Amino acid sequence: MDKRKIEEYIFKVFMLAAVSIVLGSLIFILATILVKGLPALSWEMLTQTPRGGYYMGKGGGILNAILGSLLLGIGATILAAAIALPIVFYLNLYLRRRSRFALAVRFFLDALWGIPSVVYGAFGFTLMIFFGLRASLLAGMITVAFLILPIMARGMDEVLKMIPFELQEASLSLGATRLETAGKVIFRQAFPGILTAILMAFGRGMSDAAAVLFTAGFTDSLPYSLFKPVATLPLAVFFQLGTPFPEVQSRGYAAALILTAIVLSLSILARLITRGMNKHVIKQE
Amino acid sequence: MANEISQNHIRVRDLSVRYGSTQVLNHISLDIPDKKITAIIGPSGCGKTTLLKSFNRLIDLQEGASVGGRVFVDGEDIYDPKTEITHLRRRMGLLSQRPQVLPMSIYENVIYGLRVHGEKDKKKLDKAAERYLVEAHLWHEVKDRLHSSAARLSIGQQQRLCLARGLAVGPEVILGDEPTSALDPISAEQIEQRFLALKNKYTIVLVTHILRQARRLADYVVFLYLGHLIEHGPAEEVLNNPRYIKTKAYLEGRFIEEPEIEKELDLRKLTLSESLKALGKMSGELKVGQVFRILVEEERLPELIASPLAGQHTVLEVKKRDIIISEVIMQKNEGGYSI
Repeated sequence: MDKRKIEEYIFKVFMLAAVSIVLGSLIFILATILVKGLPALSWEMLTQTPRGGYYMGKGGGILNAILGSLLLGIGATILAAAIALPIVFYLNLYLRRRSRFALAVRFFLDALWGIPSVVYGAFGFTLMIFFGLRASLLAGMITVAFLILPIMARGMDEVLKMIPFELQEASLSLGATRLETAGKVIFRQAFPGILTAILMAFGRGMSDAAAVLFTAGFTDSLPYSLFKPVATLPLAVFFQLGTPFPEVQSRGYAAALILTAIVLSLSILARLITRGMNKHVIKQE
Repeated sequence: MANEISQNHIRVRDLSVRYGSTQVLNHISLDIPDKKITAIIGPSGCGKTTLLKSFNRLIDLQEGASVGGRVFVDGEDIYDPKTEITHLRRRMGLLSQRPQVLPMSIYENVIYGLRVHGEKDKKKLDKAAERYLVEAHLWHEVKDRLHSSAARLSIGQQQRLCLARGLAVGPEVILGDEPTSALDPISAEQIEQRFLALKNKYTIVLVTHILRQARRLADYVVFLYLGHLIEHGPAEEVLNNPRYIKTKAYLEGRFIEEPEIEKELDLRKLTLSESLKALGKMSGELKVGQVFRILVEEERLPELIASPLAGQHTVLEVKKRDIIISEVIMQKNEGGYSI
């Protein structure tokens, strides 16, 4: 066989191997939580709060953690989006393409992305002390918002970078201001990508345990105040897997299954709801 | 002629543009006549688009661009800091090389500009949408699917939609940046027809690299080469009887060469008779066909060129060195001299 065909073949094998490693581990993880968690999953688990001795195998559920995680995840995502959107529109529409400032901001966002979430937890904790806040839903939200901000902002930034400059020109040449151009044209064109960035960040924020460990605390009661501790699913998984009782451990897997299902179904739901927003997006040929 | 001046819609005075350290336009001064089609021609990279974009200040968005000189639209200096840029752009419709529709429906595309400028009345917007789609010759093709996505139109239809969108904000000038270059011949023909139909109402400035298009459409022609204004004037004169060597070469499709300059003569601050003496002395030293360059204040150029001695040389090119000084490139004519 000639050399170029062999090269082609070898690289195909490499690519297939890489894809199967990714797919394989995903399937393996899903299979693990399905096999180990599904038998323990019950209606009771979804609809009740832990009763006394829950972590030793007695009755109850993790509704506290489900609601807590949803509130915390959605709140943090909204908070992060409220910061990320202005940042990326400023970087891409108001600054010149090769602006040093933009370069610096992108570099810092990339660096923030690499910081482990437990450090964010510690950072959130010092902020809490500074503001005299106790472990609470609000503190958790703020910490998680910081954690997912770089993911969201850089995701959106890459999307906005791809939008042709001519689209901006077209809007500006009609006498629109930059803000009108950003809100009415660029946002619409970038919307699918912006949504992806938001959902990615939401998934990450929902499933992080270390950032909420010190900041949101944990409680067996349902969330009822921004200023009171709140239970979260990752911590519920962590606590249940940490017990020596097999039946509690399998409830831990069930909780992981619930967490995955929530992230997945909210993503799909968001896509469905906003489907109408995408129909005018211009596709570059 | 006072009459002539009032008929010029855009006046460019000593306009220079640089991108970083690259000089893209050098001391351009010209007038764009009102309600005529002006074609800006020249090889790629000669600054045509830059000149066009300096008319609606889209140049401001260009990386590292700095602009010197002035551009007047209706007598108003558009580079004055007090100029309201959104109002200026509203007066200048732009058609770009590739039609760039907005990510919204056909109807919303047309009324986008009106909405931005504060029009909320649904009836007025509907009426405007129809009127300008008719004017752009697109109405009968899209009237049944006004609310479907503009991105699904063919590229020729998209360009006409962009025209309708531009007309809807009520501009006085239409700027076209090679607006037919991405289109198929039939769509290009439709756009050209639109230009001819619209020129009674709008001043149209058209950048084009298609000479035949300039011949078909233009009333007035501007020829740029490497950032210099080489020649401009009524289309018939420039296209059929170009005055300068570079224009000729470009129109004939030949490679444009810089003439080799044998001698340079500085006539700045000299009187006419002194200048003529110096000129006569130098032309005695040159062989027939050799090229020389003189430097002279622009205001003195006409009297110098009109003089009989200068008339014995062919003027190859007149370039502006800066706002005051012009460079004249001349070639010694065949035949002898009789003074």
